[in-house]
Amino acid sequence: MPYQAHMTDTAYRYDGTFPGFLCCVFASFARREIPAAVLGPEEGQTTLFGSADIATDAARARRVAAGLARLGGTVRERVLTGFLSTDPGKDLALLRFARLCFTLGPRAANMLGDPDVAAAFALERGVNNEAHKFIEFLRFEERGGMLGAVIHPNHCVLPLLRAHFCSRLPDEDFLIFDATHGIALLRQNGAVQYLAMERYAPAPDAAEQGWQALWRRFFQALTIEERRDPGLQRNHAPKRYWRDMCEMWPDPAAP
Amino acid sequence: MDLADKLAILADSAKYDVACTSSGVERPGRHGALGSTAAAGICHAFTPDGRCVSLLKVLFSNACAYDCSYCVNRRSNPRPRATFTPRELAELTIGFYRRNYIEGLFLSSAVLGSPDATMERMIEALRILREEYRFNGYIHAKAIPGADPRLVERIGLLADRLSVNIELPSAKSLDALAPDKSKAAILRPMGQIAAQSAESRRDLAVYRHAPAFAPAGQSTQMIIGASPESDFQILRLTEGLYKKYALKRVFYSAYLPVVADSRLPALSTQPPLLREHRLYQADWLLRYYQFSAAEILSEDEPWFDEYLDPKCTWALRHPAFFPVEVNTAPKAALLRVPGIGPKSALRILQARRQQTLGMPELKRIGVVLKRAQYFITCGGRVAARGTRQEVAAALLDPGAFGVGVRQLSLDDFVARPLPGAAPAVHALAAAGVEAGRAARLVREEALQCLTRRI
Ligand code: SF4
Repeated sequence: MPYQAHMTDTAYRYDGTFPGFLCCVFASFARREIPAAVLGPEEGQTTLFGSADIATDAARARRVAAGLARLGGTVRERVLTGFLSTDPGKDLALLRFARLCFTLGPRAANMLGDPDVAAAFALERGVNNEAHKFIEFLRFEERGGMLGAVIHPNHCVLPLLRAHFCSRLPDEDFLIFDATHGIALLRQNGAVQYLAMERYAPAPDAAEQGWQALWRRFFQALTIEERRDPGLQRNHAPKRYWRDMCEMWPDPAAP
Repeated sequence: MDLADKLAILADSAKYDVACTSSGVERPGRHGALGSTAAAGICHAFTPDGRCVSLLKVLFSNACAYDCSYCVNRRSNPRPRATFTPRELAELTIGFYRRNYIEGLFLSSAVLGSPDATMERMIEALRILREEYRFNGYIHAKAIPGADPRLVERIGLLADRLSVNIELPSAKSLDALAPDKSKAAILRPMGQIAAQSAESRRDLAVYRHAPAFAPAGQSTQMIIGASPESDFQILRLTEGLYKKYALKRVFYSAYLPVVADSRLPALSTQPPLLREHRLYQADWLLRYYQFSAAEILSEDEPWFDEYLDPKCTWALRHPAFFPVEVNTAPKAALLRVPGIGPKSALRILQARRQQTLGMPELKRIGVVLKRAQYFITCGGRVAARGTRQEVAAALLDPGAFGVGVRQLSLDDFVARPLPGAAPAVHALAAAGVEAGRAARLVREEALQCLTRRI
């Protein structure tokens, strides 16, 4: 090992941003240690460990980011995507993974038999899987020529939805509101931005209700009763997604 | 008739078509057009029978001039009839697509007058979509057997995937059950599609902007259990179709009796869903695991085992092939291990370049070891020893004994055999045995039988 590090029982505290996380990686090398925990601003107020506050410094973050980029697409994607996870302990798992990659080079990413690599891989896969579910299940409603959707993801998946929907709807304005984290992805006049937003509740107008009714009608006509198997349905479309899928809502009472 | 009623009728009429995938072509979006496609396909909803909804799957019309005995839409069956206009269908597709309900359109049709007249209406709907709405999403269209080859060519230039249903697994059954269709009328467009897509791929390699003919290839489907063919015959036919017509997929549809007819299974017959499932598993082995039909079944053993998946069956018949050493075995050998699929095999290959793999490493890699452990060694060491009964218990396919609440009505919370459970479980339950007990009894017997075989 070119770089000796020892386990400490110090916890790193940082501001929860991605540059902040990169500075934790930087600090871990500078201090030649692997921290016992890496905590964002809202986590673990009382710890058994001593803690070190890691300041976010743009220049240091850039150095680490450039280093990650040199390690190739697999490593970089895994850290970036894994960081969108909200699993507890993800910061430490990704820091340990990044350290291993800096030490062993890009090939470390394939060492799935290694606990740190496997943990980072699991984080990345969890986020990607959830993002894919929303690519499948998100439903837009049209309002004044603009499409809007509300989702309730566990992880911060909006950045992973961006490319898909921008490519698919190249000339449309749309907004996807992540109600769990209070962030919206807004695409307007070809430009994309992320907005902090408290609430977004588009109420479908009559025309939109008409579309939803058509879709529900189609959906209901497709079931083959002899094959009915609600357990299988829930395997593919777990219940937690149903609130964002208009065909799963109860039929609106007839007027 | 309003559009919603039409949609309900024409979706209901199309629901027995099984191929609802949107896979096979990767096409990013571009300005001035609406939509994109993803090579792996995308599902957008799952119905209470657990099937994926990916495309707006409808018939253009269900007013059929033909009289195929196994089909709900046949001329002699009294039922509500409806026909879209090309523009209605195009608008519906766009409206659903923009809302992210669907990946695109799957358009099939009953024979509306004649095959040519039907295809012309279908082509008009697709033309409106592609040219007027600049729709760039997925389109799967059925070619109607007996239509003019020029119409097949035109629809192939509008659609991503084409299919011609082979309907039944032999010419004899086709003659008996679908008197208006002939084997030749089905195979001719298949041959044309195979030839034209190959040609189009060559042209595309040379001139980037050559028009693409069915870039996602063609598929077909056949009905299982309406006619007497064995699993081996069906699998061999499948293998032949993949080779001869370069098909992307062959789909199977368990026959669901919709009509009393002396030529067909009785109305009370359960659809053979477990058999359908085994066929898909075997089909998978052909396409992704480098198996041949003759390795999976034979003249002497022409039927699938109800309680074991085809790969486990093969493994038990070839004890000399095992154990496989995970640290050195070639990919093809890894793929023969029960429980190791293409993804696990790939990860094993990557990981073992960096480190020696033992059981803990395999677990971290995400290999499911329940079955695999009895068929592998790690660094020369046997991964797991089990009694014959333990091994048998791990290999039995739990799906064959599935029991659950099927909610056949809103207040139905009774456990029943799941649709894909083995016929013996269904039979016991139908005879009044409580479902859970029926499944346990059948499993117990299958376990004993298998233990003796090992
Ligand atoms: S031609 Fe097609 S729709 Fe018409 S009866 Fe035969 S299978 Fe049914």
